[in-house]
Amino acid sequence: MSQRLDQRLAALAEAAQLADGRLDAELVQQAQAVTAKAGARLGLGVEMTVVGLAGPTGVGKSLLFNALAGAELASVGRRRPTTSVAQAAAWGDGADPLLDWLEVGRRQRLDGDGLSGLVLLDLPDFDSVASAHRLEVDRLVALADLVVWVVEPQKYADAALHERYLRPLASHAAAMAVVLNQADLLSPTEIRAWKDDAERLLGEDGLRDVPLIVVSARTGEGLDDLRRLLAERVAARGAAVARLGADVDAAVAALAPACEGRAGGVRDDDGKRLLAALEDAAGVPRVVQAVGAAHRRRGALATGWPFIRWVRRLRPDPLRRLRLPDRGEPAGRSSLPPPTHVQRAQVATAARGLADRAADGLSEPWPRLLRAAATAGDDRVADRLERAVAGADLHVSRPRWWSGVAWLQRLLAAAVVLGMLWLLALALLDYLRVGDTPVPEVRSVPVPTGLLVGGAATGIMLAILARLVNGLSAHRRSRAAARSLRRSVEEVAQELVLAPVEEELDAQARLTAAVAAAAADGRASRIPHLRRALGFA
Amino acid sequence: MSADLADALRRLRDDLAAVRLDLDLPGAPEARRVRDDLAAQVDDYLLPRLRQMDAPVLMVVGGSTGAGKSTLVNSLVGSVISPAGVLRPTTRAPVLACHPDDVRWFEGDRILPGLARATGGTPTRGTLQLVPTPSLPSGLALLDSPDIDSVLVENRALANQLLAAADAWLFVTTAARYADAVPWEFLRAARDRGTALSIVLNRVPEDAGREVTAHLFEMLREQGLAEADLLVVAETRLEGGLLPARALEPVQRWLDALAADAHARAALVRRTLSGALASLPARVLAVERAAAEQLAAAADLRVEIDAPYMAAQREVETALRSGSLLRGEVLARWHEMVGTGDIMRALETRVGWVRDRLRSLVTGKPAADEELRAAVENRIEAVIRAAAERAAERAARAWRERVPGKALLARAAPLDRASVELDKAMTEEVRAWQGFVLELVRSEGASKRTTARLASLGVNGAGLTVMMAVFVHTGGLTGTEVVVAGGTSALGQKVLEAIFGDQAVRTLASRAREDLLARVARLLREDAARFDTLLDAAAPEADSLARLHAAADAIKRAA
Repeated sequence: MSQRLDQRLAALAEAAQLADGRLDAELVQQAQAVTAKAGARLGLGVEMTVVGLAGPTGVGKSLLFNALAGAELASVGRRRPTTSVAQAAAWGDGADPLLDWLEVGRRQRLDGDGLSGLVLLDLPDFDSVASAHRLEVDRLVALADLVVWVVEPQKYADAALHERYLRPLASHAAAMAVVLNQADLLSPTEIRAWKDDAERLLGEDGLRDVPLIVVSARTGEGLDDLRRLLAERVAARGAAVARLGADVDAAVAALAPACEGRAGGVRDDDGKRLLAALEDAAGVPRVVQAVGAAHRRRGALATGWPFIRWVRRLRPDPLRRLRLPDRGEPAGRSSLPPPTHVQRAQVATAARGLADRAADGLSEPWPRLLRAAATAGDDRVADRLERAVAGADLHVSRPRWWSGVAWLQRLLAAAVVLGMLWLLALALLDYLRVGDTPVPEVRSVPVPTGLLVGGAATGIMLAILARLVNGLSAHRRSRAAARSLRRSVEEVAQELVLAPVEEELDAQARLTAAVAAAAADGRASRIPHLRRALGFA
Repeated sequence: MSADLADALRRLRDDLAAVRLDLDLPGAPEARRVRDDLAAQVDDYLLPRLRQMDAPVLMVVGGSTGAGKSTLVNSLVGSVISPAGVLRPTTRAPVLACHPDDVRWFEGDRILPGLARATGGTPTRGTLQLVPTPSLPSGLALLDSPDIDSVLVENRALANQLLAAADAWLFVTTAARYADAVPWEFLRAARDRGTALSIVLNRVPEDAGREVTAHLFEMLREQGLAEADLLVVAETRLEGGLLPARALEPVQRWLDALAADAHARAALVRRTLSGALASLPARVLAVERAAAEQLAAAADLRVEIDAPYMAAQREVETALRSGSLLRGEVLARWHEMVGTGDIMRALETRVGWVRDRLRSLVTGKPAADEELRAAVENRIEAVIRAAAERAAERAARAWRERVPGKALLARAAPLDRASVELDKAMTEEVRAWQGFVLELVRSEGASKRTTARLASLGVNGAGLTVMMAVFVHTGGLTGTEVVVAGGTSALGQKVLEAIFGDQAVRTLASRAREDLLARVARLLREDAARFDTLLDAAAPEADSLARLHAAADAIKRAA
């Protein structure tokens, strides 16, 4: 049994850790207090059972304490409130560490009579004008293994008892008992009516299963029943574990509302929407376009017809204009415009939408936490996107065939120039009437004419062909650049939005699992709600 | 005196009822109690007593559950008129016993107007049981009230109300109970209200009388209640449900003395009345103080709403002025619409317009101007939405860090996002703004203040041009800004400069921008109003302090 409690406590400790900073600080503190207290209590061993006698002032707690101890240990008086400091009676040895932990100084060691292992505490009242007593009672009620509430005919329906203690402790039925004292003041029929009414009130508090014993400390009537109940609990050595189990139950019930529902996770289309917004903000379409245009321009400069390709130089290189490096090494800041307000707004809206739908079905505060996680990186978006674009491999490189074609074009250009010079020389000679200069012919085409026309035609054809190839290749390269940029932007999305959101979702799942593991039946955390809804507990 | 005083009291009651103290502050529950007590006491006690000073003395028997209130009343009357027993709480409906001659004073709604009267039968909840009995002297009525400390919440509230209506309290406690905390709160309240008080110490065991009485007396003195009569009743077996005459003797003697002495009764009434009146200023002051605290806390919370929403407004304004709304698609659409090189050619006639419509009819593609308008709309909405979301998140976070704010948020649906109505309201406002711009262009066009160039664009084209200009004008040279903002090449730069540099366009644009910003402010205000509504429902009104103060002053003057 204790081993099972250890597991539940470990699960509760994990839940408290996960809830820290996420759920209400009060809930976290409650869970932490339970684990801390349980550690201390279990460390002191479960051989002794701490039973506290608590109740309003004047119900005869001290008288009952003396009657159980069989000795005048506590002073009994008429002056209210009588007992102002808790005192203890311990049956058997070894109670001192426990009493030190309870910080109860006044203690008495007693012997045997079947109650060996019992540590009985006489507590001060909680309803008198002495408010310090209330603090002491609160402290010890939280620590005792079994709390016996003592009431009498005048006081059993007091709000101070029911509203302050019994109702909030409804989950602790296993660690409580109620004693109706001063039965000697009533007749037997009155006692029966009284007991029924007390049971009704306890039922309204949610404590139907609490043992209810009618006694008279003055006459000793019913004391044996009480003694038997205490002897059973002490002999079973289970009161401490039961009490701590009830504490864990209460902490679990408090945490359970935050564990309702299951998250669907981040939806694909939301991820795509976010990616699109980020790409737009990063200026990806412009870069992709520039990559294609730059390739075409450079290709034309390298492989175009030399006589007209210089025109291309008049327009700037699109990639250079953006100051993007050819290779994937960031070279200072690019001159891509930063994301505009609209683009940033669209990124933020996409991130919020993603978080909202990921949180669909989760109870508060998770929708809020997911949203906060999704928008936490807002300020870094611009910077990270620029680095992502600058760092992406844009697949800008000179194909090797360009230099071959370039040489060919140079050769052809040389042929054209040669042909032209030759023809000019011939025309000059002809003008000067120097004589009939023989012109070599190949298949009846004069060589210089062939050089000029053939070279020009081949060069132009080659340029057109290369341009076609470059166009196709530019298209391919811009697609490759788009893919590469997408990967970079995906990293940004992952780092700034998706990872934080996933982390919260993971925390939610782990918290739910931990709370379920800490629950008494080890199953879903919804159980306490279900039970309440069905009218149990 | 009396009429003025009654008016002043009624005013005070109304002002008190109007003071909301629902912010979750440390002193708030106590202040709410004081406020409700005060308002109830005016109705239940002060007004009736002022109207009729010669009405019988109403002595309310109050105390803890199980203290024996009903038994005491039954014994004084001489028969069981209020059920007594071991089950707690016993008395759930108050029982009023008086001499038959006095019944008329209590039948109407002169006192305790909120309780229905009943005679005979068993007492039922929510009624006041009237029992005429000749065994009580005339001029003195006994009211057995429910307990002050049992699990029944409505009992406690009723007891409180009855005690506030009393001319005198007969407070019953027992040897086991006299040190309970709850009754002492009531005794202190009686002291603060100036109510005449007698205390019955019931069920005193033979052997404990001296010790307990001495202790109780000591406690009374410590609390400033030494003047109260202390009557001791010994613990005895009941005879037929009534206390035997011997045990009852101290109380009986005290009651007989009071019944015999009309002067003493009148003095008692006057004492309680003047005590109650004298206690008013201090109690009103307590409510005022609480209201001031509430107002201060509300002001703090309001700052936490205003700051993020003002930041949101600035954010939208910056976005508008930065020209970023123009970038990319919007400018491209504008180019598409007005043409790139020669604006005149594209727009001089309605032919172009007809052609566009025909094309959109055939291809199903919206005309260029509609696309442009949609693009403008989208962008403005995106910026407003993001700003509103952030503002809501920040305001809710700031509230959550304060106790009253957190409590307010817990009362409503989650507020840390823009309201669901924002989308619709935003679309409506932006459309309305576009309509406003077109109307503006139309009326300005008629007044011939625009240049020929703008007029040549037609109403639609000119309207859209003005909308675009809204996003670029910062008062400097604007055509270049458009080019920079648009990220376009030198395309049509001269045209752009000419159009956007135009004084007429600038004037129109600045008016259009003012209108748009006013609409944005309205949208954000509506979104922020969700927080304000929560706050207004919990915090007092700003003038409530002054009103309370004036009402208290009026009472001081009249009394």
